Amino acid sequence: MSKNNQGIAYDKALKKYSARKEVPAAEETLAPETLLKQFHPDYFPDSIINLKVGANKGEACHHQLAAMLQSDARIDESDLAGAPIIETDILVIGGGGAGCAAALMAAEAGARVTLATKLRLGDSNTVMAEGGIQASIEQGDTPQMHFEDTIKAGHHFSDKELVAEMVMDAPEVIRWLIQQGMQFDLDKYGDLLTRRAGGTSAARVVYYRDYTGLEMMRVLREAVLNSNIEILDYSPAVELLANESGHCAGAVLSSLKDCSYNLVRAKSVIVATGGIGRMHINQFPTSNHFGATADGLVLAYRLGAKLRDLDSFQYHPSGLSHPQHMAGHLITEGVRSAGAYMLNAHGERFVGELKTRDHVSSAILRECVEGRGITTPDGAIGVWLDTPGLELREPGMLAQRFPKLIELGKKSGINPLKVPPLIYPTLHYQNGGVVIDPNGLSSVKGLYCVGEVSGGIHGKNRIMGNALLEIISFGRRSGEHAAANCHGVKHKKISIEHLSDLRRELTQANMPMDLQGPLLFPECAKFENDSDYDGLHKNR
Amino acid sequence: MQKQDELLVNVTINGKEIAAPSSLSTIQALWHAGYPRVKSVGCLEGVCGSCRIMVRRKESNQVSMELGCQTLIEEGMQVNFLVFPTPTHHTYDLNTIKSSWEVQGRFHKIFPEAEHCRHCGGCNRSCPKGIEVERGVELASKGRFREAGELFIECVMCNFCMTACPETIAPNHVGLFSRRVTAYFHTRPGNLISRLETLRKGDLDVKK
Ligand SMILES: Cc1cc2nc3c(=O)[nH]c(=O)nc-3n(C[C@H](O)[C@H](O)[C@H](O)COP(=O)(O)OP(=O)(O)OC[C@H]3O[C@@H](n4cnc5c(N)ncnc54)[C@H](O)[C@@H]3O)c2cc1C
Ligand code: SF4
Ligand code: SF4
Repeated sequence: MSKNNQGIAYDKALKKYSARKEVPAAEETLAPETLLKQFHPDYFPDSIINLKVGANKGEACHHQLAAMLQSDARIDESDLAGAPIIETDILVIGGGGAGCAAALMAAEAGARVTLATKLRLGDSNTVMAEGGIQASIEQGDTPQMHFEDTIKAGHHFSDKELVAEMVMDAPEVIRWLIQQGMQFDLDKYGDLLTRRAGGTSAARVVYYRDYTGLEMMRVLREAVLNSNIEILDYSPAVELLANESGHCAGAVLSSLKDCSYNLVRAKSVIVATGGIGRMHINQFPTSNHFGATADGLVLAYRLGAKLRDLDSFQYHPSGLSHPQHMAGHLITEGVRSAGAYMLNAHGERFVGELKTRDHVSSAILRECVEGRGITTPDGAIGVWLDTPGLELREPGMLAQRFPKLIELGKKSGINPLKVPPLIYPTLHYQNGGVVIDPNGLSSVKGLYCVGEVSGGIHGKNRIMGNALLEIISFGRRSGEHAAANCHGVKHKKISIEHLSDLRRELTQANMPMDLQGPLLFPECAKFENDSDYDGLHKNR
Repeated sequence: MQKQDELLVNVTINGKEIAAPSSLSTIQALWHAGYPRVKSVGCLEGVCGSCRIMVRRKESNQVSMELGCQTLIEEGMQVNFLVFPTPTHHTYDLNTIKSSWEVQGRFHKIFPEAEHCRHCGGCNRSCPKGIEVERGVELASKGRFREAGELFIECVMCNFCMTACPETIAPNHVGLFSRRVTAYFHTRPGNLISRLETLRKGDLDVKK
């Protein structure tokens, strides 16, 4: 971020700032494609390379992700000698929204389900989601419009079949969530309230305050805890297992409680490990939870699964930029949907606030690069999110609808009703992922991948509310399909033999092999296999 | 990324003395000092309830329950990370409650201890989100589930109140039960229902 250094100092800019009811809209002169090409991080020079091994050999991939996809494994055969084997029908890996939905559906269909998760059940990106979930339910809206908005926002890279299935599922997804006990914000007649998102042609996002994900996750977690699903927490998957024909047949889990390996033999596996934020692509701060380290992509790729759009990430426009210890924290897009403007250091609007996220983020980066950003003493930069202006136009609305924003204000010492928060794009979402079919099946038999780990739905850019929809829509589909198809499956042999092939390929391609994957935990946590339950062995 | 000249403060975390910049949370301070910390870390934004800590501040003999990612270190602070408690023994399946007429009766079968709340306020004091937990339990016991649930909007299920409760009431699960039955039985949005109906009739389709 060093090239951003010219700008106006925070104190000076704040003095110049005053909340105004109306600020003239921006005049945008640059064509959208030009703006993206010049400023969006996906186009940073030298950040994209071609993969040298695996199902996507020769295809473009961000270099940090490529290093992980082509890393050495953490384990070999000798680690598994004597490891206990847990038998189940369906193994779900990941305890976020997608994993829970899949597990609940499979269990309801009568399958024996085991759910393994890295930390606690519910530690996830799902619990953090604020803005809401999309479903076309209003009179003037149709699934067709939802479909077209999604395709357009994704720059026509989406898999149309997946999108069509998802938008048709959406109303039923909301019904299912209500039947799990999830609340939504309702109007006085009991209708679901809806709001627009950047890039939607109708009000289509339903929500619960700015706690949509928290409400969803605590309800799904409670539903899972009250079912007969077996939960293995503190058990990150470090490798998938395959049978003699290469079908996915389980996984190797590493228990953080006693630092041992467990094998799970399953008729099929549903990977729902979420996103990638904590890999800090292009050194951006992130809004993601602690365990979002692209593990599922690595595991699936090693077993031969095809991935897609590995060069495309979403940077959310409104990440907090100041104070520094909270850098990357998200302010929901809902605040802009509700009418908040963004202002540069001169107090001018510079972009349509509800354009798609890639567009808005690029515009913020442009303001910063071209000297119209606001700089802080500790080297951060950003633009204003004009919440005080919105408070003038609609007094009381922020406090009523965005309790989490008010909380964030207390914690950062910046009261958003009086002082505009400083924002800068934050790494938010992995647009691409594992290629799947409408049942969530990957190109490897027995391996389902659902939720943020999968790719194809959002093309190269996602609109707010489509991720929460995707995880429940495809989570449920995969659980149902896996349960219906597990009868009669029997894996004779389960092994990690595919790793020998991987290592051979890596050596032949002259890859360094000094990195081990999956990452499991971000670098800052200094994770080592020997850390005990209380995590107080010093790593030195 | 820390600036060199930033003031360091001294804190004790799980018995280890640590000096770290005052702008760090307790978790960041541990990382800063070279201790690994992966368990009881989650969203790092105060909504997952994993990073449970017990805090005593300098010159205070009060102990408070807080979330580690939300608490900035202060000079002389003593912090202990707490292991997540074992899950509650209360279990239920919403689908087996036939109608909303039955909810109150079932509630007392599922949470028999709730009526025995001794109003000690332990749950309120332990809640890092400032929720009126005790009142929530009381309302739920009287069958006022919608009102009870409203009190738990910000609950992150950190389970502090559960640990604090001498009657093993599991107040947070009482709160979540109240919320869930309210949605399960009473959320019936007209706009959603009519869209589902149109879809069921096959009147809407997507052309790819
Ligand atoms: C701050 C924030 C706000 C958001 N707001 C919205 C919004 O308003 N609307 C919207 O639609 N979307 C939103 N999103 C995106 C959306 O929340 C996520 O894309 C979605 O919840 C992902 O769900 P998931 O189940 O696929 O993954 P997650 O919810 O991230 O769950 C993945 C799970 O897998 C576990 N895991 C990871 N690796 C392993 C491993 N190796 N072994 C075992 N387990 C593992 C993780 O610990 C976690 O429990 C937001 C995201 C963030 C970060
Ligand atoms: S009500 Fe209980 S579980 Fe919920 S936040 Fe408060 S202490 Fe934690
Ligand atoms: S801690 Fe338990 S007994 Fe005490 S007030 Fe709260 S619910 Fe009642």
